Amino acid sequence: MSGLEIRALVQRGGFDLDLDLRLGRGATGVFGPSGAGKSTLLHAIAGLLPAEQLRVAVDGEVLVDAAAGVSPPPHQRRVGLVFQDHRLFPHLSIARNLRYGESAGGGVDLDEVVDLLDLGELLERLPRDCSGGLRQRVAIGRALLAAPRLLLLDEPLSSLDRGLKLQVLPFLRRVQERFGLPTLMVSHDLSDLLALTDELLLVNGGRAAGQGDLPSIAADQGAVELLAGSGLSFSLPGRMARRDGTGLGWVELASRAGEGLGDPGCCEVACGEVTAEIGDEVEVILGPADIVLAVPPMDARLSLTNHLLGTVERITRTAARCLVQVDCGLEASVLAEVTERAVERLELAPGVPVVALFKAQAARARGLGAQRPGPAR
Amino acid sequence: MSAVAVLSPAEWETLWLSLQVSLAATAAVAGPGVALGWLLARREFPGKLLLDTLVHLPLVLTPVVVGYLLLLTFGRSGPLGPLLEALGIEVAFTTLGAVLAAAVVALPLVVRSVRTAVELVDPGLEDAAAVLGAGPLRRFRTVTLPLAAPGVVAGLTLGFARSLGEFGATITLAGSIAGETRTLPLAIFQGTQVPGGDGAALRLTVVSVLLSAAALLASELVVRRLRRGAGGGQT
Repeated sequence: MSGLEIRALVQRGGFDLDLDLRLGRGATGVFGPSGAGKSTLLHAIAGLLPAEQLRVAVDGEVLVDAAAGVSPPPHQRRVGLVFQDHRLFPHLSIARNLRYGESAGGGVDLDEVVDLLDLGELLERLPRDCSGGLRQRVAIGRALLAAPRLLLLDEPLSSLDRGLKLQVLPFLRRVQERFGLPTLMVSHDLSDLLALTDELLLVNGGRAAGQGDLPSIAADQGAVELLAGSGLSFSLPGRMARRDGTGLGWVELASRAGEGLGDPGCCEVACGEVTAEIGDEVEVILGPADIVLAVPPMDARLSLTNHLLGTVERITRTAARCLVQVDCGLEASVLAEVTERAVERLELAPGVPVVALFKAQAARARGLGAQRPGPAR
Repeated sequence: MSAVAVLSPAEWETLWLSLQVSLAATAAVAGPGVALGWLLARREFPGKLLLDTLVHLPLVLTPVVVGYLLLLTFGRSGPLGPLLEALGIEVAFTTLGAVLAAAVVALPLVVRSVRTAVELVDPGLEDAAAVLGAGPLRRFRTVTLPLAAPGVVAGLTLGFARSLGEFGATITLAGSIAGETRTLPLAIFQGTQVPGGDGAALRLTVVSVLLSAAALLASELVVRRLRRGAGGGQT
């Protein structure tokens, strides 16, 4: 069976983590409130926490099956784990850190990893002489060189501020593209997960609360309620087009192949915060609460810069709000959070044409290319 | 004061014997001291408190009692006496006895120092090493021990200095036999007890002070070097 199968039961001091998962072969983002059991899951898979039940299989190959007596100690599991706090060995040089778990015949080449993560000039340094972003890159490289069958990333970006994050995030993308390892990544920042993973797994109170890509999760009432409490965001892929004199960055959003947008001006949006260079592949990160919906024709004159024309795809109702999924012909859907009253007043329903409006200041464009390692501010 | 400057052959012999006994005792406790220090820092097991107490007992007992207990245990009529005799090993009133006495009183100092040093090593680094494929021994050798090295060296220095100064347990277990068990403190005591022995006592006192100071200084230098190498902590 292809993909990642995980069965985990961990009981610790009144907390139960109980998951039975079938995940895709690619990268899965694990999201949920703190204390949901996300890190516990990763640590149990790696063997650093005892589990009552544990079975992990990658593409049908069983890494752990405690019930069948296959429960190797952490050092024989071939599971890579990158910690939030890098955990580089302070007394070893970067090169020796990288080589620490190097697996002979593992098929991962030191030079390639050094090149991929742009670590060439650091090899003789000690970890304390490197910035946080670089250290996290070394930690990723170190995990890769041990040739794991499964890569676990436990909040790899959360100890970094936004600028430093950009020294790591594009490299994680490169690693994904080059190695294509089955990956579980935990983060409390949904936009990071959307940028790096193919599928989301929502965890709440030790149970799976939703699984799939963002649109399918956004269609699930329980999942939306959970996400709303943890900071729901979505991203629209595009390309950094230009900067204007007022400090705004203009991003040309990527439309779905084969479908025209009608109004070409509509697919360019202004972003208040930009960390990318002209021509870079970027994602525009937005929160559904920042999106205003209007029903055309629009005769009022608005101060808002950005408007995207689309049609309502789906409305997910929760106790407090409605999440409206709008198809604007872009690669990803726009999500707007409105009240039930607004849905009634605007007579919103699937198929209804709407305009999604947002301020430039609400939009954040983040570069995904790894051409330059430093923050491009 | 000219008498202080030059040691007599007998005093040289005392100095040499003291160094041998102390180095042997330090070497003997290095392995068990590091192992016990690690065990007490990292593992929970039944009887841990008992082991902890036993190891540290020589620190609080008067050394004469330690020596006497060792004599009762390892002497000819002690429980280990016949076994040791069969192996041709004699402990009481031999150099080996002096080493044993020094080792037992030095052990708790080594264990304490190692334990504290190991406790300060982030267990997260050992976890990281495990996930990277390092088994328990390799984790200890490549992560825990290098990072705890300053504490280990400091502990061994303390143990060495303590061995050098050991008196009560030694005289009780090994006696004060010139050239065999009469180490510096015993020779100094002897000097103060015989008429005309003041000069020897004073010379050996100076030697003791210099030796201990040199050991502390050397240890401090080594510890500083190790700290620099270890990156000054886990940042």
